[in-house]
Amino acid sequence: MICPRCDTDKVELLTKSPVGNAWEMYICNTCTYSWRSTETPDKTDPKRYNAKFKIKPESIPNMLVIPPVPPLKA
Amino acid sequence: MKDIQVPSGKTGSTKAYHDLRSFLVTLEAEGQLVRIKDEVDPEEIGAAGRASANLKNGPAVLFEKVKGYANPVVTNVHGSWANHALMMGMDKDTPVKEQFLELSRRWDMYPVGPKRVTNAPVNENTVTENINIFDIISLYRINTYDSGCFLSKACIVSADPEDPTSYGKTNLGTYRMQVKGKDKLGIQALPFHDIGIQLSKAEALNKPVPIAICLGCDPITTFMASTPIRYDQSEYDYVGALNNGVPMEITKSATLGLEIPAGCEICIEGYIEPRVRECEGPFGEFPGSYSGARLQAVVKITAISYRANPVFENLYLGIPWSEIDYLMALNTSVPLYKMLKDTFPEVQAVNAMYTHGIGVIVSTKVRFGGFGKAVAMRLLTTPHGMAYNKIIIVVDEYVDPFNLEQVMWAMTTRVDPDKDVSIIKNCPGMPLDPSSNPPGMHNKLIIDATTPKAPEIVSRETELLTPPAGTAKWEEIISQLVKAARK
Repeated sequence: MICPRCDTDKVELLTKSPVGNAWEMYICNTCTYSWRSTETPDKTDPKRYNAKFKIKPESIPNMLVIPPVPPLKA
Repeated sequence: MKDIQVPSGKTGSTKAYHDLRSFLVTLEAEGQLVRIKDEVDPEEIGAAGRASANLKNGPAVLFEKVKGYANPVVTNVHGSWANHALMMGMDKDTPVKEQFLELSRRWDMYPVGPKRVTNAPVNENTVTENINIFDIISLYRINTYDSGCFLSKACIVSADPEDPTSYGKTNLGTYRMQVKGKDKLGIQALPFHDIGIQLSKAEALNKPVPIAICLGCDPITTFMASTPIRYDQSEYDYVGALNNGVPMEITKSATLGLEIPAGCEICIEGYIEPRVRECEGPFGEFPGSYSGARLQAVVKITAISYRANPVFENLYLGIPWSEIDYLMALNTSVPLYKMLKDTFPEVQAVNAMYTHGIGVIVSTKVRFGGFGKAVAMRLLTTPHGMAYNKIIIVVDEYVDPFNLEQVMWAMTTRVDPDKDVSIIKNCPGMPLDPSSNPPGMHNKLIIDATTPKAPEIVSRETELLTPPAGTAKWEEIISQLVKAARK
C-alpha cells in the first residue's frame, strides 16, 4: 500500500473498526498521514490526493521545529 | 449529576454544571441540542459542525451512532451565543455585551478553590494494556486535508517539571492533538503557551512531561482551558469564579495522580516525550486556513480512563465564525480588558472576538492627546496581546466595541490616516496567522479612532448628535406595534 500524501510504502494498519467490519484505518510511518478505508479517493488515492498537500519525504527533516528543542542542561 | 442552584448577583438564579452530560440535558430542554439518531459515517461529523455554526444560534449536535464505533459524539456545544449564555446559567437570549459584563463581574471573584472528590465516574474504567484509543473514542477527520483524526477540544492538564506539586503552576490548556497511533498522539505546544514553558523546562533536563488529556468536561472548564491567564494562576480557581462562586470538582487521575476535572467523560494519561519531534499537520486552524506541516512534539499514551458510554466532545473549526470563535470570544476579551483596566481605568470594554484576538477593538475615555495610542501599546505588552494582537482599533467611550456598525462609524469619521494609523514593525506574532512572516513574527497596526484632544491640535470641534426628545417613548410604541402585528 502507498501513502496518499508522501507516496512511500511504509504504511501499516492502524486499527480495524471496533464495532463490526465497517472500515480499517491506515497510517504512514514516514509522514504520519492516516486515513480511513471508507473515505473518498481525494483522501485515500495517491493519484487523487491534492498536490498542494503532498509532502516529499526528503523535506520532512527540514520542517519548522515547534517548539524549538532547548540545549541540555548539564 | 444534579445541577446546583446558586444565587446570582444580577441575573436571577444561575446553574453550575459539574459535567458535560448535565449541560447537554439543559441544551436539549432549551432547544439548543439536536440528536442524530441514524448511523452516520465518521467523516460526516465535521460537516455537521460547520453546518450548525452556519445557523443563527446553531444547536449542539449529538450523534448517537457513528459507523464502526461504540460511543456517541457531540459537537458545537459552545457554538452559538445562546449556548454560551446557557453555559453561564443565563437566559439564552442574553445580548453579547451583557454576557461580557457578567463574565467580567464573575472574573473578579477569583480565586474560588475546587472541591476534591473521590470515586469520579471517569475512573470507573481504566485501560493500561493493549491500549487502542479508537476502541473508546469515535475519532474522525475534521477538515478535508487534516493529516488525520484530531482532538480539537481537549482539556490538557500538565505539571511544572521544576515544581510538580504546585497547584497554581499546574496548567489546564487546549492544544490540538493529532492521533498518530493506538497509543500515540502529536501535540502542538507553542513556545508562548504555558505548556510550551513546561516542555522547554523538562526537555532541558531530558525529562518527560506527564499529562492528562481530559475530554468532555463541563462547559466552563472547557471555556477556561482556552482562556489566557498568568502562568502561576489556577484555571480551576477561575472555573469556580465563573460558575458564580460554585467550586469545581476535581479528582486524581487514575494512574499518574494529576488533578483533573472530576466530571470529564474520558481521561487519557501519558507523557510528552522529551526532545522528540515528528511530522505533524496540516490542520485546519482557527484563522480559517490550514497550518503547514511541522515537526512537533509527541505524546505516548499510558492509560485511558472513561465513564460508561463516554461521549466524545470535539469541535469544528473553519472560516470564522465556527464553534471555536464562540468558545474563544469573551474568554479572550475579558482577560485583556482586566489587564488594560488595571492600568487605565478609563477603558470601558474590550472586544477581542476576532480570530482569538488577532483583531481587537478597545473602547476608552480619552484624557489627553495620544491617549488612545498609549492604550493600544499597553495592550501589545500583555502576555496574550504580545503575540496575538495585530490589528488594534481604539474608539471613544460612547462607542460599543461589540457593535461593528458603531465601530465603522468611528473609523470613518475620526481617523486621519496620516496621523492616526501607526505600524510597529518586527514584533512577536501568531504563527498560525497566514500573514505572519516568518511564522511567529509580524508587524502591528494601531488605528486610533478616538476624538482628538489637546494638546493634540484639534482643528475642528465635534458636536455629537443626540436623539430627539421622545425617542425612547417611540421605540417602545413601535416595538409593541411590531409585536402585535407579528402575532
